[in-house]
Amino acid sequence: MSLAVPPSAGRTPLLRAGCLPAAALRGLSALRLPASVVLSLAIVALVIGWSLAPGLFTGQDPVIGVPADKLLAPSLAHWFGTDHLGRDLYARVVYGTASSVTSALIAVTIGVVAGGTVGLLAGFFGGWVDTVIARLVDVLLAIPNFLLAVIVVTALGFDTLNVAIATGVSAVAVFARVMRAEAIKTRQATFVEASFLLGGSRWHILTRHVLPNASRSALPLAVLQFGLSILVIASLAFLGYGDPPPASDWGLLISIGKDYLKWPWLVYAPAFVTITTVLSVNRISRWLRRID
Amino acid sequence: MRNAYLTYAARRIAQAVAVVLLAYVFTFVVVSILPGDPVSTILHDPQNGFTDEEIREIIAAQGLDQPIAVQLWTALSHFVTGNLGLSMRSGRPVATLLAEVLPSTLILASAGFAVALLLAAVIAYGTQFLPARFGQGLLRGFPSLFLSVPNFVIGLVLIHAFGFQLGLFRVIEPNSFWATLFAALALGIPISAQIAEVLIANLDHEARQEYAAVARSRGLGQVGLFVKHLLKPSSLPVVTVIALTIGELLGGSLITETVFGRTGVGSLVQRSVTTQDLPVLQTVVSLAAVVFVGVNLLADLVYPLLDPRVTLVGSGRSRQAGAEDPATQTTEAVTA
Amino acid sequence: MAPQDRLSAPARAAPLLEVEDLTVSYGRNEVVRKASFALGRGGSLALIGESGSGKSTIARAVLRLLPAGARATGRVTLDGANALALSERRFRPLRGRTIGFVPQDPGHALNPVRTIGAQALEAAALLDVRDRAAGKALVLETFAEVGLDNPGRVFGSYPHQLSGGMLQRVLIGLAVLPRPALLVADEPTSALDVTIQKRILDLLSRLQRERDIGLLLITHDLAIAAERTQSLVLLKDGQVQEAGSAKAVFFSPTSAYARKLHADVPALNPDRYGALRDPGLGRLAQAAGEASKIEVRGVTKTFHVDGKALTAVDAVSFSVPAGTTHALVGESGSGKTTTIRLLLGLEQPDTGDITVAGERLAGRGPDALRGVWRHLQLIYQNPYTSLDPTWKIEQLVREPLDRFGIGSREERAARVREALASVGLGEHLLARGPATLSGGQRQRVAIARALVLRPDVIVLDEPTSALDVSVQAGIMEVLLTLQAKLGLTYVFVSHDLALVRQLAHTVSVMHRGRIVEHGRVADILDNPRQPYTRALRASMPAGISGTARGVPRRVPILAEQSLP
Repeated sequence: MSLAVPPSAGRTPLLRAGCLPAAALRGLSALRLPASVVLSLAIVALVIGWSLAPGLFTGQDPVIGVPADKLLAPSLAHWFGTDHLGRDLYARVVYGTASSVTSALIAVTIGVVAGGTVGLLAGFFGGWVDTVIARLVDVLLAIPNFLLAVIVVTALGFDTLNVAIATGVSAVAVFARVMRAEAIKTRQATFVEASFLLGGSRWHILTRHVLPNASRSALPLAVLQFGLSILVIASLAFLGYGDPPPASDWGLLISIGKDYLKWPWLVYAPAFVTITTVLSVNRISRWLRRID
Repeated sequence: MRNAYLTYAARRIAQAVAVVLLAYVFTFVVVSILPGDPVSTILHDPQNGFTDEEIREIIAAQGLDQPIAVQLWTALSHFVTGNLGLSMRSGRPVATLLAEVLPSTLILASAGFAVALLLAAVIAYGTQFLPARFGQGLLRGFPSLFLSVPNFVIGLVLIHAFGFQLGLFRVIEPNSFWATLFAALALGIPISAQIAEVLIANLDHEARQEYAAVARSRGLGQVGLFVKHLLKPSSLPVVTVIALTIGELLGGSLITETVFGRTGVGSLVQRSVTTQDLPVLQTVVSLAAVVFVGVNLLADLVYPLLDPRVTLVGSGRSRQAGAEDPATQTTEAVTA
Repeated sequence: MAPQDRLSAPARAAPLLEVEDLTVSYGRNEVVRKASFALGRGGSLALIGESGSGKSTIARAVLRLLPAGARATGRVTLDGANALALSERRFRPLRGRTIGFVPQDPGHALNPVRTIGAQALEAAALLDVRDRAAGKALVLETFAEVGLDNPGRVFGSYPHQLSGGMLQRVLIGLAVLPRPALLVADEPTSALDVTIQKRILDLLSRLQRERDIGLLLITHDLAIAAERTQSLVLLKDGQVQEAGSAKAVFFSPTSAYARKLHADVPALNPDRYGALRDPGLGRLAQAAGEASKIEVRGVTKTFHVDGKALTAVDAVSFSVPAGTTHALVGESGSGKTTTIRLLLGLEQPDTGDITVAGERLAGRGPDALRGVWRHLQLIYQNPYTSLDPTWKIEQLVREPLDRFGIGSREERAARVREALASVGLGEHLLARGPATLSGGQRQRVAIARALVLRPDVIVLDEPTSALDVSVQAGIMEVLLTLQAKLGLTYVFVSHDLALVRQLAHTVSVMHRGRIVEHGRVADILDNPRQPYTRALRASMPAGISGTARGVPRRVPILAEQSLP
């Protein structure tokens, strides 16, 4: 009987535990990460850096500009150029990261916790619990995502936190659906019946077997949803439902820039940052799905 | 079989009606119960200059002094009978407001849908014929790129490149042919990515199946294999995915209309949101749910007729063991 | 011409298929290393090996159906053509016409959304048929030839409407229809029931003889290979271990691996575990007067599916004396799985009575059943699905102790180690996850998990059918040793008569929910009275030696090569 184990096998759980960047960078050589994944992880790390300590990445002020320097093209002094008030656009993007990224995190958390719990219970208990929850999820799914977010934010009032909540609410149905499917799949797994025969209670099986297995499959989806939330939040900010200027959410920056299309970097620079971030997040999600 | 199908169809139709009604209730509850109180905000806004007397009249006319349950019942019964109520802002019937803007949105949405389907087919089927090295990788990269770009950015890029630089259309004429085409592109591209992604995944999945290898061992070439074997099983489940993207089409037109300055349902929503005109919002959201549920119902009713593997058993539809469940493939589309 | 002549004299007239130094690699990982063999026109050759031996990879390399990313080097000469060097366009005309393919799993080998007829016409199109009608006539004729009762109905059916055995007949028909010179059959029967396996193999042998086709048979079963082909090539880890005529490899193997493989095949070694099994026979003799450990009396279970009643288990009775092994034998759908689910209390019988160790199971709720499960445990068929992939081995084996609240922390840890040691696993595995273990190791973990509760009765649901024979032999040894040491009572479910014969004391043969025959293993298997038992018995591949006394075997090719 062979005891040989691929050298990387022992390390994957570390990554699943969630301490992504650090663990991944440490295990780089052992895991033979694709170059695109390494790049994506680096970009996400940079964006997280921007949101945690924007001051470390730029010395310019995001709110007070130099009127003489307005609408300058990108240069070494102003990487992304300057806007109509002479503010450095790079600084505005960097300082706008915190609310863009935090909002997306809040949204994903709401979706994962609320949707995940509901879906898990529906899938695990089945019967009328499942019937009721499944219909409610159908109702949520029936309202187009973006419209749902729009009416929730309308009811709550326009600010960035409410935009995040609205985006989260619109993601609940998706997570509920996926968690339900995963819970049903796991509940029917042989190892669950085995645990039952070995004396496991329903609660034990739900928390120790079904939950870990179902969440493992839901992790790539959560990451994907993070990228999607950045897009939805940017769209809501673009429509002006978030904090008003001088806040500098990415979507808001693009929205302001669209009135100055003669100076296209005002649109392209924040758009580039948004797209690159979402692309990287999606790449990581795909990779997680593959190694699972 | 026939009987089983009728039972199945009746069940699905009943479910769809229930879902639409519940969606109405849900929207109603969201706008009436959540902490914000848009109505009093508007009414008491000094800019609007309503007197206390007028405010009381408006509240009575809209039935806002009734308990929530009564309001809900009144609104729901009106909705079911086709009475969509009055705009709180302009006082005009919501139905009239909608009728004015609907044609423009329908044109945009159907053009966007056509773009999405066409592009998805070109990308996905193209991967089967381009050489593995260069072109295929490029095509396979498109969906994930398109999915990472906000559609207002696509719109702005198109306006900048084709409107400003090439002068193909002018922004102040949003209903011209070129302007509509580019708006449809902006709307359709992200949606095409979702469809293409599922289609490519299905094609890859089918190509890896044993039957594909066996068919090749029978002397079929790449084209023969694709046309005779892979096309149908990989495209069938996409029917369900396409139906699911209808929601994106409705949500996406809201932004696209804003970017291109078109008048349509989207701009109506946008206006109603800023003025917090709840009856209009309630109606638009409910109708969107009707459209979405209707299209998905249609897909669910058609699918069993197209796929011979689907057997209808008492409680719903199921497939033979070993066949991929279309639901697992559509979850991706919903999330993407 | 004797087959070994062909092998020893490669200079003779060009063989139909000649493989020289074939190496297949995925990146840096070589899955086949310098394999060479040759097959003459109308001859037959078997590639034998366990999972991971590279046998299927060689078949796919010959067919040029390797997945993207695989690289084949060396030389494959097919009917005079250098098959690996040809362009895809030049190779395509050979497909179907020169080389046909019969796949492993007939359930997935036909396009599920097209009718069988539409796909069969593709095969007919390889011959110069005038039109669709001529093609269809040819297809129907072939369907009849491969033993399909109603060719017209099959032609219009979708694959999911036919049984596995019928589908495999269809696939064999489609493969031989364009009259290829070589047929590659990749484990053509391993997805089928035993009685059907034999008929499919008979069909292949007949077609090969009548149509003078060269047969390259891929199999994991030494007995089948020796019974059906002239030459054997034995593979392990991608390398040829031994090659030669079936007779030579079978009777006088030179490599250690061939000898081990021979010893591990149950059909060839009915008394391998005699010493471990005999104590149970003694208990069986004593048990006549006492109450049995397990009593199943007149148990019936009917399921209602779509308004149709399906009696899965019909008036089944058997009893198992303590310390012995009772086997439930039958094919899929015979009701053996439902029977053990009833025995474990996972399903409730409609009528009848089940007593385990003096305790009646009927009418117990989940809480009362927990008490029974302390003494009654189940080993599942597939160790790849019965262990939670997110848990560590240590947690998995300790789980039942935790759940039943047995012992202190230290005592539990000690019992976990003791249980692992008793199934032959070391402590270094404790911190590992199941995904890092081989199939055999996983099944040992599953056994340790059941043992840790110190049960009296263990129900074994085809515990080795997902594993290779050499791994199976190890597991069986563990199970029998434990029985001899601890006096465990086993209920052993299997479709494999040869395995049952090796280790069980009594047996019940199940067919369509009923027990058709039961008694001591030796009595039933040596002198089956019921036609169904006889059919099962006849399906056992016996290799060349004919350990199956008095059983008519139709092995025409090797008829003259019987035991010296």
